Amino acid sequence: MSDFLEFDTLSLHAGQTVDKEFGARAAPIYQTTSYVFPDTDTASSIFNLERGGHAYSRITNPTVGVLEQRIAALEGGSAAVCTASGMAATFVAITAILGQGDHIVASSQMYGGNISLMKNTLPRFGITATFVDPKDIDGFKNAIQDNTRLIYGELIGNPGLDILDLEAIASIGDKHHIPFMVDATFNTPYLCRCFDHGVNITIHSVTKWMGGHGTAIGGVVVDGGNFDWGRTDKYPTITEDYAPFQGINLWEEFGPSAFATRIRAEAMRDIGPSMAPMNAFLLLQGIETLSLRMEKHRTNTEKMLEYLSNHDRVSWVSHPSLPSHSSHELAKKYLPKGAGSIVSFGVKGGREAGKAFIENVELASHLANVGDAKTLIIHPATTTHSRIDADALVAAGITEDMIRLSVGLEDVKDLQADFETGFRAAKKVAGD
Amino acid sequence: MYFEVNGKQAFATTGGKTLDSSLPTVIFLHGSGLDHTFWGLQSRFFAFRKYSVLVPDLPGHTHSEGPPLDSIEGMADWLNDVTIALGVKDLSVVAHSQGCLVALEFASRYPEKIRTVSLIASGLATPVNDALIEAAEKNPEAAIAMMVSWGFGPAGHLHQGPIPGNSMVAGGRKVMRGNVPNELATDLRACNAYTNGKAAAAAISCPVQVILAGKDRMAPRRAGMQLVEHLNDPELHIIEDSGHMVPQEAPNQCRALLRDFIFSNNPA
Repeated sequence: MSDFLEFDTLSLHAGQTVDKEFGARAAPIYQTTSYVFPDTDTASSIFNLERGGHAYSRITNPTVGVLEQRIAALEGGSAAVCTASGMAATFVAITAILGQGDHIVASSQMYGGNISLMKNTLPRFGITATFVDPKDIDGFKNAIQDNTRLIYGELIGNPGLDILDLEAIASIGDKHHIPFMVDATFNTPYLCRCFDHGVNITIHSVTKWMGGHGTAIGGVVVDGGNFDWGRTDKYPTITEDYAPFQGINLWEEFGPSAFATRIRAEAMRDIGPSMAPMNAFLLLQGIETLSLRMEKHRTNTEKMLEYLSNHDRVSWVSHPSLPSHSSHELAKKYLPKGAGSIVSFGVKGGREAGKAFIENVELASHLANVGDAKTLIIHPATTTHSRIDADALVAAGITEDMIRLSVGLEDVKDLQADFETGFRAAKKVAGD
Repeated sequence: MYFEVNGKQAFATTGGKTLDSSLPTVIFLHGSGLDHTFWGLQSRFFAFRKYSVLVPDLPGHTHSEGPPLDSIEGMADWLNDVTIALGVKDLSVVAHSQGCLVALEFASRYPEKIRTVSLIASGLATPVNDALIEAAEKNPEAAIAMMVSWGFGPAGHLHQGPIPGNSMVAGGRKVMRGNVPNELATDLRACNAYTNGKAAAAAISCPVQVILAGKDRMAPRRAGMQLVEHLNDPELHIIEDSGHMVPQEAPNQCRALLRDFIFSNNPA
C-alpha cells in the first residue's frame, strides 16, 4: 500500500477498520447505546481518557467514529467530532472556547442560522459578535477587541457567495492570537482544504454536499491541530485543568487534538448533540462518491451559469467563477477546482415573478437545503434568512428578487427545459 | 508542569496527577522531532495506578526551552539532571525510537536509579540517511513527510486509530511541525552519530523489555533483534500489525505489555 493515500482513496477507506468477525466491507451500523466492558479496569480507563474506546453512544460510536476519522483525513485535521447537525457543530465549537464576556468577529455574509445564533442566541449566554463585510479585511482588523476570542466566517458566503480571503484573515488571527474558524460546508475538502491556508477549525453541515443525498442531517467540527492554545491565557477551557476529568489539562495531554477533545469531553457528555449511527452510515455512503459528485456539480454549474447569463428573463447572475463577481480572483486562488454549485440569480419582475418561477418548476425542488444530488431552489428573503432583520439582509447581500439555486446532478438539458417553464410563468406575472 | 534544569525551563506532563517523588516513577522518552503527546495512551494509565509519571519534552521540543541537545549522551545526562531536579527514584524508563538510545545510555550510566527499561521500536543504533538529515535542515516539510510516511504502518495511513475521531498521521505531522527545523535535524544527527549502543546495552543489569513491530520500516525487525542479542536476557514481544509508532498504532497491546512488565518488576 502506498503512503499518504490520495483523496479518492481516503473517501472510500479512511477511518474504517474492516470488521474482524464477519469481514463486512461496508462500515457496519453500530445501532447500540452502549458497549460491554471486558473488565472494570478497561471501563475506568475509558472513562478517565486513559485509552480510546466506546462507553456510550452519546459521546462516541464506532460508526460515527469512522465518519469522523474519514472527514479528519479528507480535511487534513488532527481530529473530528460529529454532531447531530451543522448548527450543533457550530454551537459546540464556539462554546468549547468562548463563554460569558467573550466576543466573536464574524462575516456578515453567512447562513441565516449562523447569523441568528450569534446575533440572538449566544448573547443570552454573554457571547457577543461584531459582523463584518467578508470583503473588508480592515474591517476584521478593526473589529478585534480585547475580549475577542474567535474569528468566524464561511469560505463561500451563503447566499451572496463572497469568498473569504482565508490567508489575510488567518494572519489577523495569528497576530492577535485568536483562532480562525470557518464553515466550509459549501466548499467541502474536495474544493478547498482550509487548513492549508491558515484556518484553525472547520465546521461542516455534512447534510449538504458531503452527504449529498438529502437523507441525513449531520454536522462535524474538525480540529486543524495548528493553533497554539498555550501561547496566551485566553483559552482556559483548553489550557487549564478540567475538573470533571480529574483535573486533566487537555492542552498538555492531547496537544494538537486538545480542542476536539474538549468538545468530546464536555459538549457531547453534558449537552449531547450526538449524530445517530444510521445517519453516519448514510453520510459515509455519500462521502464515498464526494469527488465524483463535486465534479459533476461543477460541470453542471458551469452549464447553468452560461444558460442563465444569456437568458432574457434573468436580471442578474452571481457566482464566484464569473469574472463579474467581486470575489472572482479569490475564487481562483482558493477554489481552483470550482467555486461550488450554489448560484444566485434574479428573475425579472421582482418578488412576484420569482415566486411564480419557483412555483412552476418541477424538477428543481423548492426546499430549504443545498448540496443535494437533486437541484434545489429557494427564495432566501422569505425562508432561510427570514428571521434576520432588514439591515442584516442587506449586509448578507440578499435582495427581494434573489433566487438561490443549488445545482444538482441531473442532465442539464432537462434542468434547462424545467427552468423554461418557470421563466414563462414569471414572464406572465411580470406582464412585460 | 514546568520546572528548571541547568538554568533552563523544561516541561513534562505528569499524566494528570501531581508528581509525587516518593512513588516509583515511570519516565517516557519520545523520539526524534516528537514530544510528550506521543505517550498519551500510556502515561495517564500509570499515573492513575499509584505511579508517578514524567513525560518530558527534550530541550527545544514543543514546551521545553532550547537549544536542542546534539548528542544521545548529552540527552542521557540531561535526563539524569531532570531526575535530580525533581527527586524522582525507582525509575521505570519507557522509550521509543530515538528515546531508546537515550534510555540505553541513561540506564548504563546511572544504573542505581533504574528498576526497569522498556525499549520500543529500536535497534542498537539509528543510522539516518543523508537525504533525510538534509531535508530536515533545508526542507522540513519534506522531512516530516518522509518520517510520517515511514513511521506509520497501514492503519495509520488509513487514519484508523484507537481514539474515536482522531487521526494519528495528522497529529504526528502537527507535532513535528512545531519541532522543525532545528530540533528535528539535531535529533537526527544525534541518532546518526550514536555508536555506543552495544556497550550500553551490555551494561544494563535491570530487567529489560523490548517491544518490536512487524511492520516497522524505521527500525526493522532485524535491527531490533540485534538489540535483543546484546541485552542481558530481555523480555521480547513483537506486535505484528504495527508500524514504527507502536504506542499510538497498537496502544492497547503496548500498554498491556508495559503494565505487566512494570507492575511485576517495579511494583508501586
